Amino acid sequence: MKILKVAAAAAMTFALATAPAMADDKPVVGLVMKSLANEFFKNMLEGANAHEAKRGDYVLKAVGMQSEADIETQINAVENFITQGVDAIVIAPADSRALVPPLKRAMEAGIVVINFDVALDEKAKEENGVELAFVGPDNRGGAKLAGDALAQKLGKGGKVVIIEGNPGADNAHQRKMGFEDSIKEGGLVLVESRTAHWETEEANTVATNILTANPDIQGIMAANDSMAIGVVKALESAGRSKDIMVVGFDNIPAVSPMLSDGRLLATVDQFGQEMAANAIDIALDVLAGSPKPQGWVRTPVTLVTGEK
Amino acid sequence: MNVEATGLAQTAFTGRKKLSFKSVLREAGIGLALVALVIIFSVTTEHFLTANNITNILTQVTINLVLAVGMTFVILIGGIDLSVGSLLALCAVVAGKAISLDVGVPMAISLAVLAAVLAGTVCGLLNGAISAFWALPSFIITLGMLNVARGAALHISDARTIYSFPSEFNAFGSMTLYGIPVVFLVALMLALLAWFVLTRTVFGRLLYGLGNSEEAVRLAGHSVFWCKVAAFTICGFTAGIAAIIYMARLNISSPIAGVGFELNAIAAVIIGGTSLSGGRGSVLGTLLGAFIIGVLANGLILLGLSDFMRQMITGVVIIVAVILDHYRAKYTRN
Repeated sequence: MKILKVAAAAAMTFALATAPAMADDKPVVGLVMKSLANEFFKNMLEGANAHEAKRGDYVLKAVGMQSEADIETQINAVENFITQGVDAIVIAPADSRALVPPLKRAMEAGIVVINFDVALDEKAKEENGVELAFVGPDNRGGAKLAGDALAQKLGKGGKVVIIEGNPGADNAHQRKMGFEDSIKEGGLVLVESRTAHWETEEANTVATNILTANPDIQGIMAANDSMAIGVVKALESAGRSKDIMVVGFDNIPAVSPMLSDGRLLATVDQFGQEMAANAIDIALDVLAGSPKPQGWVRTPVTLVTGEK
Repeated sequence: MNVEATGLAQTAFTGRKKLSFKSVLREAGIGLALVALVIIFSVTTEHFLTANNITNILTQVTINLVLAVGMTFVILIGGIDLSVGSLLALCAVVAGKAISLDVGVPMAISLAVLAAVLAGTVCGLLNGAISAFWALPSFIITLGMLNVARGAALHISDARTIYSFPSEFNAFGSMTLYGIPVVFLVALMLALLAWFVLTRTVFGRLLYGLGNSEEAVRLAGHSVFWCKVAAFTICGFTAGIAAIIYMARLNISSPIAGVGFELNAIAAVIIGGTSLSGGRGSVLGTLLGAFIIGVLANGLILLGLSDFMRQMITGVVIIVAVILDHYRAKYTRN
């Protein structure tokens, strides 16, 4: 541990020494995010900008991508940050495997790397000989909170449907597993589990069709709020809002009226706005000489319901 | 210049085309495929042929039908419009901003509809004018517009979902008339209008002529430029209408709405027998094509097939439909 500390300190002096032109000698933090077209990351960026202004002791350089699957852009962003000689890279990886080698290069260049939001793949880290902690929410545990709220309302034997996120996306997978945990524990019956690719219109169509095939379902678990909105609209059109309950994930502003009038039973907030800011804090602590974080640093997730 | 083109240039002057046996046969094939799908799903699933599900299918094909009608105009002249999905998002966001204005419900709704239609029409006009003026492939111009419109939608909305529209507006999205969704009736009227324009007006016949031979249209003394601009403008206009339907149905405007919708619209047009190289096809075919896609999506979920199987089968149906069309085209030519 001590060696690491010395190495980090050495890396910092090195970075400072080689980049004397950096403004006010403040450490530079490169923030690499996923799609800024996504409300969640947009909020996160705003949180990070506010954090930079508030702390005032570091310089933030943020990069987002055009779409969720734009792995190439993220890899380029990491490489550009290495070239620029930033002090720390704080990254929400678009792919949990593909980003490991470039991040390894960054660490070898003496840059402090903090992985947040989506965890890098354990096996890929092992294969590349990278040791890196993860700072982020428990998507599985969060989904279980929402799933449990539904299970509590329905009781044993309640028939439910899961609307999944993008197949292959890690957070989609984690949330699905969280819902399945609730189903198992609460004695619910899973009738169907289908993807609507995080999208409102598709969720609306999929939910309508599932409802046609299974008119007796009682609850629907959507892996994000955009899809939950589509589901709620599907139930309204079918005149089933009263007897079928819906839970979502993310707590986006658009669901707040649905929460207060009960069309949405519950959603989950993982405080995206603070997530990047927290990760930056950890990076700055390490730069200032604190030990590197280990394993999984969990960030808070909370259940949000309409009841005040 | 081939004989068919000359014929079409001539029909441009008479402005009419007789309903021949061959042209009926062209759509009959697609119609039969649709009937076959309906029979298969009616037999294999319990809920397919119920009044409720039919209402659902009509709602579910509506947006794609509207976009596909516009796309038919563009594909008929041998062009393509990849921007309609993004245009839908841009129109929805602009309309979402307008409908949130505090000017009274009727005024806000009117402004929203106007804003969506205007935004779509202007972008379509730009697509057409740029690709026609510099004689550039519409594929690349509309690919550019895809990015411009998506970026603009995200910029205007600050990447946030716009929500809480007036309940009157929301009600329109789920209103039905004898079990037929009103939004579908809007789409159907649009399709009828398009059918009339394409088959019963000089302008429509010119578009067919343009798809076969620009030279023929030019020699006949018509402006190729303005015909092309009009086709793309109509396509943009339909994106505006589709945006309003999207908003009424879901009660939100999302800047990330409509990703990939252009591909579904193109698929509906091509399955419907319109040739990708232009000059051949019909709105009736497009209507049937949109229904094949919609019925397939609905029926495969009712069957309980997995997501991945569903995606594969949809792909296979598109390929088979185009192969069938190849033979049909060969047969009708001989």
